[in-house]
Amino acid sequence: MIGLAERSYLAEAIPFGPGGLVFIACYLLSLIGIGWIARRASREKSLKDFYLGGKGIGFLVLWLTLFATQYSGNTIIGFTGKSAKIGFAWITAVQFMIAIVISYQLFAPKLHRLAKEHEFITPTDYLQHRFGNRALNLLATAIMVGALGNFFLAQLTAMGRAVEGLTAIDPDRAFAIGVISLAAIMLIYEWLGGFRAVAWTDVIQGTVLALGFATLLVLIFQQFGTPAETTAKLLEHSPEKATPPKGLLLRQWINFILLFGFAGALYPQAIQRIYAAESPRALRRGLAAMSFMPLCATLVAILVGVAVAAHLPEQLVGAKTDTALTVMLRQVSEQSWFGNALVVLIFAAILGAIMSTGDSALLSISSMLTRDVYQPLFAPRATQAQLTRFGKGLSVVLVASVTWLTIYLNSLEGEITLVQLLGMKFDMLIQLAPAFMIGIHWKGMKTIPTLVGMAVGLALSLSFFWVAADGSGWMSAWKRSGFNPGLCGLLVNLAISIGGSFLTGRTGSRSRPS
Amino acid sequence: MTRGSGYLRPWIWIGYGILFLVAIPWYWPEGDERILFGFPLWVIVSVGVSFLISCYTAWLFLSGWPDREEEE
Repeated sequence: MIGLAERSYLAEAIPFGPGGLVFIACYLLSLIGIGWIARRASREKSLKDFYLGGKGIGFLVLWLTLFATQYSGNTIIGFTGKSAKIGFAWITAVQFMIAIVISYQLFAPKLHRLAKEHEFITPTDYLQHRFGNRALNLLATAIMVGALGNFFLAQLTAMGRAVEGLTAIDPDRAFAIGVISLAAIMLIYEWLGGFRAVAWTDVIQGTVLALGFATLLVLIFQQFGTPAETTAKLLEHSPEKATPPKGLLLRQWINFILLFGFAGALYPQAIQRIYAAESPRALRRGLAAMSFMPLCATLVAILVGVAVAAHLPEQLVGAKTDTALTVMLRQVSEQSWFGNALVVLIFAAILGAIMSTGDSALLSISSMLTRDVYQPLFAPRATQAQLTRFGKGLSVVLVASVTWLTIYLNSLEGEITLVQLLGMKFDMLIQLAPAFMIGIHWKGMKTIPTLVGMAVGLALSLSFFWVAADGSGWMSAWKRSGFNPGLCGLLVNLAISIGGSFLTGRTGSRSRPS
Repeated sequence: MTRGSGYLRPWIWIGYGILFLVAIPWYWPEGDERILFGFPLWVIVSVGVSFLISCYTAWLFLSGWPDREEEE
């Protein structure tokens, strides 16, 4: 789920034989089949049924949908590349993925209970219940839609990159075909079955993803020998990748745990999965299982990256460190038909990881725009069936427009400013932490200080975008420190929301029914 | 919710503080090349403590989930 290096460079990857392509095609078609089954399981045409799957999901589906949603294609590709670049210091990724699960302790138990009592559908429903302020609702919705929009764009880009490597045709054409066809499949099963389809396909995608990681773990040892050989080679030619991190790397380590730990838990699709859990028992078991996934998944990606950096350093020069996984897969694929079959499985896992993250983001954006923007501002008297129809139509428009944007951006040399700004998604999302993690417990937290704190924290975080890291002044110094601007914004946000609530006294706190 | 109930009990977060203090490799000497089980020693310690953090978190989810009275 962490967007560090969304360009996968699978363009230099692996040609699949007819068997591999048939396997991938069957896998993709099975997703549409699941969407159709989910449609038949639908009981009513309501927002709750479409966006949360009605009464909710049990432990196993919840666990796998959390896993498939939080671990994107980037967890495999980007994390492998990053660890090839900086070595074992990327162990921080294991810890920040655990930190995300830890953060749920701060708000998930009570949020789940409130969601069941008051039938929340979107994260903003909680804010409406707690603070009852339209400006706060709209600001929070804008933050979440902005962060998710970037996330969705990144997943579509990853789809295009993944397909580029499968064909011998012009890469730009292959990219466009990949984006359009995979986005269309995602849209079809989501249109058919809503959240149910997304969660059920996540079961398949999560299982294939877990198989992919298990396969990778075996391949590391088969390809590169023992860890002792890997460490020895690394110490020989790149000792900085095997020795303890110092200075900037160490500060970034702490920064990632704080930033991703808090912000990652506030992804709207993750909050909606808290709502969707059928019982507290299912939720606590699901989260307990998620505590171990960083060790089963993230750690494997890191070991692959480090092994490639140790044994094939000549193939990882400059920007090409992102190709670490591709380098290993190409080597495996060329050895035997069995190796090629394993690579097909890993490719299916990558596709599944990208699509399961993308579909959750799409569903979440659609639900927030329908429930939090369209319904209160334009259609307060619309029926549930009308709203559901609108939400489905909106998904089509969203997929079409973001698909076009993805293909357009791919044709440009550099990224446009707006997209770069939205890339600060964690700096944006973390500004929601006081309202969710403190406001849910502290009744004395006031609406206006919370709103002002969120707005100022967001504005301050984004203003860092225009500050040069090598300039003078405290903002440049912060930028050079290794800590993200979002943490600076959060400190100001906390000072305003907590300090302001104390200063304005105890009267006026709100806890209203939805 | 009172300050000392549910997941807001201070000992829970003191526990996390101690575990992360050991898991983050800030205290290792520069250029440390000691090896254990084929991996750098600091990596083994960092990953090992990460495993402990996972166990602690899972245990808290399974045993410490606050009920309604605790939350209120």
